[in-house]
Amino acid sequence: MPTVTTAVRSGKTALARRSVVVTAVLGVVAFAAFVLSMMVGSVWLGAGEVLGSLFRVTVDRGTDFIVLDLRLPQATSALTVGFALGVSGTLFQQLLRNPLAAPDFVGVSSGASVAAVAGIVVYGAGGLAVPAMAVVGALVSAVLMYVLAFRDGLSGYRFILVGIGVSAFMIGVVGYLLTRADLHDARQAMHWLIGSVGQAGPTELRVLMVVLVALVPVAMLLQRQLRALELGDDLARGLGTRVEWARFALIALPVVLIGLATAVAGPIQFVALVAGPVAARLLRPAPGGVLAAGFTGAAVLLMADMVARHVLPTELPTGVVTGAVGAPYLLWLLATANREGVGG
Amino acid sequence: MTGRLRAEQLSLGYDDRNVLEALDLDVLDGRLTAIVGANACGKSTLLRGLARLLKPRAGRVLLDDRSLQDVGTREVAQVLGMLPQTPVAPDGITVGDLVSRGRHPHQGWFRRWNAADEAAVAKALTATGTQDLVGRPINQLSGGQRQRVWVAMALAQDTELLLLDEPTTFLDITHQVDLLRLLRDLNADTGKTIVVVLHDLNLACRYVHHLIAMADGRVVTEGPPAEVVTPALVEKVFNLPCVVVPDPVAGTPMVVPAEN
Repeated sequence: MPTVTTAVRSGKTALARRSVVVTAVLGVVAFAAFVLSMMVGSVWLGAGEVLGSLFRVTVDRGTDFIVLDLRLPQATSALTVGFALGVSGTLFQQLLRNPLAAPDFVGVSSGASVAAVAGIVVYGAGGLAVPAMAVVGALVSAVLMYVLAFRDGLSGYRFILVGIGVSAFMIGVVGYLLTRADLHDARQAMHWLIGSVGQAGPTELRVLMVVLVALVPVAMLLQRQLRALELGDDLARGLGTRVEWARFALIALPVVLIGLATAVAGPIQFVALVAGPVAARLLRPAPGGVLAAGFTGAAVLLMADMVARHVLPTELPTGVVTGAVGAPYLLWLLATANREGVGG
Repeated sequence: MTGRLRAEQLSLGYDDRNVLEALDLDVLDGRLTAIVGANACGKSTLLRGLARLLKPRAGRVLLDDRSLQDVGTREVAQVLGMLPQTPVAPDGITVGDLVSRGRHPHQGWFRRWNAADEAAVAKALTATGTQDLVGRPINQLSGGQRQRVWVAMALAQDTELLLLDEPTTFLDITHQVDLLRLLRDLNADTGKTIVVVLHDLNLACRYVHHLIAMADGRVVTEGPPAEVVTPALVEKVFNLPCVVVPDPVAGTPMVVPAEN
């Protein structure tokens, strides 16, 4: 028995250590990508110059202007949006026990899109009204899916299928709205629809940051419920979890995050889908973590944004790059996920 | 709490279909009980009702004379453990991690993992003979080993009562016998009350103390297998004409189908 206890303890410690180390490394990678994204551009800066300016260690008007005024807003936008996407993606995927259950895949982002495009095209909305409508759209579409998919509990597959249906419907509505729009509005809507971290306004970004700071600790606390819920509803209830309440919180939280992230940067595709599984693969055999997925999402989006702005001959919206990288990954997931028997 | 479980005028069902109506049942303390019956007779439904996974349509389930609906779900989970039919493990999870999840009801926002949890997990692993698998991923185990690990998880919950829904499904005969022996030994060693839904009447007769036979959502009869298992009962419960002979090894009743 003592040896078994030791084995249990060392197994537990090993998992905890792996989780901390991998999360820390991902955090460093995300921060490195954050700094790197402020180094590249028409004027190249050294890492020291960026860090010095960022932390107010050195004072140099020119450098400060480039770093703090020109590049920091976009880098911060990519960091926070990526983090929010990663966190909400992994919560959905773990809750519904399916790697396809990313919020952008099951109609939350498309709900946000419909509301935003309707705002631009029908009401000629601009400024803060567009992101506000996007948040409302995300919430409405999430409620719609929850109601449609709920029958004596929530099954992962039903939620995903309903989500894909809702998503298709919303995309149809977006298409209809665009054909009715005049050219200027349609252009503006199209730009919003592709998603770009550069379009973030300071106010929306600040709202997202505050919400992120408030909700990420909540998400980390909810991980305890998630560990029970991922064993299935019956076992989770048997283990003393208030299943309906926990599930509601675990759906509401990512929906708010994804709604705000969409409000800031438009419906950026695939980051939420990719971040969770990548982090989970790195963490394995430790269970998937909220922070690790957030850092992964941030790093992915920062790098995608750098590619979009600097590597390609013309500057592109970020969504084009994440889409180009994400689509093959999605195909690979579809081809392998259920073969391994990991579906919901 | 001692974990005495009782159903009073319990009615259960799904959607517009009633499965059980006004059922009364006392779970025997400290005994190994099997619920048997034909497919769709309501035995799993009854177990789910007893484990508060289904809300009663009428009547109630009493745990130590308190209605299950009135006791906090976490408090229930410290007394009553439940292993559902064919649970699914998260991808890539290790045996140690999965069994540790059984400690969930004993932890909270502020009460984190401690030595008592470790001891309970070690005990559960040892009792089920899975202690050498601690670091192995679940999906690399055989069906029999996997089922033992699930039982270990339920044991780690450290409850007076343990309900298992068809734990022998998908196991070959060796592993079925193996699992029932495990349950019998657990009952003998710890005095836990164990209720198990079983398909195989002969295995149930051989290993359990008490048998509850169900048909059409009602309890047809209950008692020690040697007293209640008769050709008339089997005919009534399973609609199978048969001969009942003593098991050549244990002397318990053994059902042999008759030729029409």
